[in-house]
Amino acid sequence: MATGRTWHDRHLGYMFVLPATLMLVAVLVFPAFITLKLSLTPDGGSGWALTLTQYRKAFGDPVLFQTFKNTFSFVAWSLVGHLVLGLALALALNQALPGQTFFRLVALIPWTIPDVVAGIIFRWVLNPISGSLNPLLHAIFPGFPAEFQWLSSPTLAFPSVIFANIWRGYPLVMVMLLAGLMAIPRELYEAAEVDGAGRLKRFFHVTLPGLSTIILIALALDMVWEFRRFALVLTMTGGGPGTLTEVLSTLVYKSYFQFFTFEYASAMAILMSVVLFVLSLPYIVLVGRER
Amino acid sequence: MRQSNRWWVVASLIVGIAVLLTTSPAAAQVKIRFQTWHWGETPWVKALEAFQQDFNKANPGIEVVRDESRLADKESVYTTQSQAKAAADIAHFMHRPIPLFAERGYIMDLTPFIEKEGGQKFLAQWDQHALEVCKYKGKIYCLTDFVNPMTLLYNTVHYKEAGLDPTTPPATWDQFVDYAKKLTRAGRYGLGLIGGRSDSLFMRLHPFFWGAGAEYLTPDGKRSALDTPEALEGFRFYVELFTKHKVVPPGVVEQGAQDVRTQMAHEKVSMSIAVPQAPGIIQALNPNMKVREVMAAAPVPVGKKRVTAAEYGLRVISPYTKNPEAAWKVYKAWHEKDVQLRNFKIAGVLSARLDVKTSPDMANDTFAKVYASQAPYAKLEPLIPEWPKIGDAMITAVQEAFSGIKTPEQALRDAHIATNRALGVQ
Repeated sequence: MATGRTWHDRHLGYMFVLPATLMLVAVLVFPAFITLKLSLTPDGGSGWALTLTQYRKAFGDPVLFQTFKNTFSFVAWSLVGHLVLGLALALALNQALPGQTFFRLVALIPWTIPDVVAGIIFRWVLNPISGSLNPLLHAIFPGFPAEFQWLSSPTLAFPSVIFANIWRGYPLVMVMLLAGLMAIPRELYEAAEVDGAGRLKRFFHVTLPGLSTIILIALALDMVWEFRRFALVLTMTGGGPGTLTEVLSTLVYKSYFQFFTFEYASAMAILMSVVLFVLSLPYIVLVGRER
Repeated sequence: MRQSNRWWVVASLIVGIAVLLTTSPAAAQVKIRFQTWHWGETPWVKALEAFQQDFNKANPGIEVVRDESRLADKESVYTTQSQAKAAADIAHFMHRPIPLFAERGYIMDLTPFIEKEGGQKFLAQWDQHALEVCKYKGKIYCLTDFVNPMTLLYNTVHYKEAGLDPTTPPATWDQFVDYAKKLTRAGRYGLGLIGGRSDSLFMRLHPFFWGAGAEYLTPDGKRSALDTPEALEGFRFYVELFTKHKVVPPGVVEQGAQDVRTQMAHEKVSMSIAVPQAPGIIQALNPNMKVREVMAAAPVPVGKKRVTAAEYGLRVISPYTKNPEAAWKVYKAWHEKDVQLRNFKIAGVLSARLDVKTSPDMANDTFAKVYASQAPYAKLEPLIPEWPKIGDAMITAVQEAFSGIKTPEQALRDAHIATNRALGVQ
């Protein structure tokens, strides 16, 4: 009896993934292709007369250079903040304490707040006249200025935005690390305790090694998201004062929708994607190795 | 299934589809999407709803449909919709994006419609100066809806409390600073100023910049003129209101137009440079304040020359509208005298129609009288596609000077370089 598979059997799997693939092509591949094509077009141009003019302009643009620096700084400090705060809370929430579930839920709340809302909340909290932070600090420290300027200060505007971003984004890292902590076998801690290791030694020699892969994955994913942070910065400062808090996403938005330099904005977006891809390589290699 | 039953099912389906395709809805309405952010603003929404109701009743075959945008992203929404060829039929903007939209083909040339209505005779109904913002490379893309000249808005009660005569507001820059200092007292500041990143900041800078005798561009429009002593004088005057004279509340770079109006509404500041809609908005922000009794308007104080700036509100028709004739009908109706007069009565805006500007309603309104008197002094911004970049450079410079990141000289010098870069000058 013949046992050969029919055409239908051989291609059934492809049929199942076809709708999702088509959707991915429509919302991801096609716009990316259009953006790439636009980035290779001269100002106001159309058709297929491709040129590297926009990239030449980008490499000579001091504003773009400064914005890249701002973005790297923003991402780096946000990652550090997310990791430190996320790990601290994950360690705390991993303890068998009363109300553990309740506290875990409360810790997730910042993650549920949209970027725009978080930006508006912080803008009002930090307002020098009508915000809630200044009266609170003035009440605790009577010498603290009643109308202290946070988002208007050249030295504190950027840290204020980063702080808001850390507050909003730490739950993602916390949840991933909490899952990683729960996967570390208890026997390892018991063995270390039997061998005389204190809390600190157990943290550095059991906890951190056990979390190393999760930390790398969390940081890689978080880095991609933070590079694209847009609404929080726009609502808090609009990139100001001056260009002190301008990040790549706000600059691309401004170039596209305010200056109408579609081609140049596309070139900046492509450069941003290339940088992100290079920075994500360790994560991609790690995932490939684990397979 | 038996053969005969299967044929009945197929036949029923065919008949059903045929009925659906050929039957028109009860009213074959042409829907015209009327896009503006004012649908979400009091008191403007009352004017819009009144227009929508009246027009739809008088034109049963056409329905004006509410299409909401937001002030902050109205251009980006319209741009994205235009790229998808799905923009609103009629959309509302201020004047600045007209050259940009025209270059990209996102707005319809209204010249053929205007020619049918009588050409220059039709256009003669409008303030010709205000109409200039609608013209680009020989075509007319809109009819100017309203004109917002910048004026000085002040609280007369605060004036009296500070020992100032509310009937003689400051006329010169020196008086302006003097009044602001006297009004800065009792937990209140003399002046609310916009320093947040927005076009509103740029507009508020203009009267002082131009008032110092400065220009942004050389007469041929090809290079920056920000390196002149007059430019520095005007720029420095605006900045020093905050940094030197301290008559402006802290956090100025965070303040947008609505923040300043909120400060006026809650009596945190005594004066501001405002547009005609401001009194109505302030009234809505603080219903307990009798704005028409407490506030007054005056010309912007004069430096070396009497000049102010104006925002021009206008609407455009999308070239992708499926019903251009119906869209023009709605567009024309919106610009009729009675509609424009109603807009003035409800929203306080100054129509660009001459018969509305000279109407008794406007002449007898204490605020409108002042706005109308300042309209002739409103200088037009250069209508060039690079203007948004130049505006951004100036906004950056003002913020840097407000925050102390750079001195006014350094900030303006960098704006000069950025402006030349935007214009392609090496």
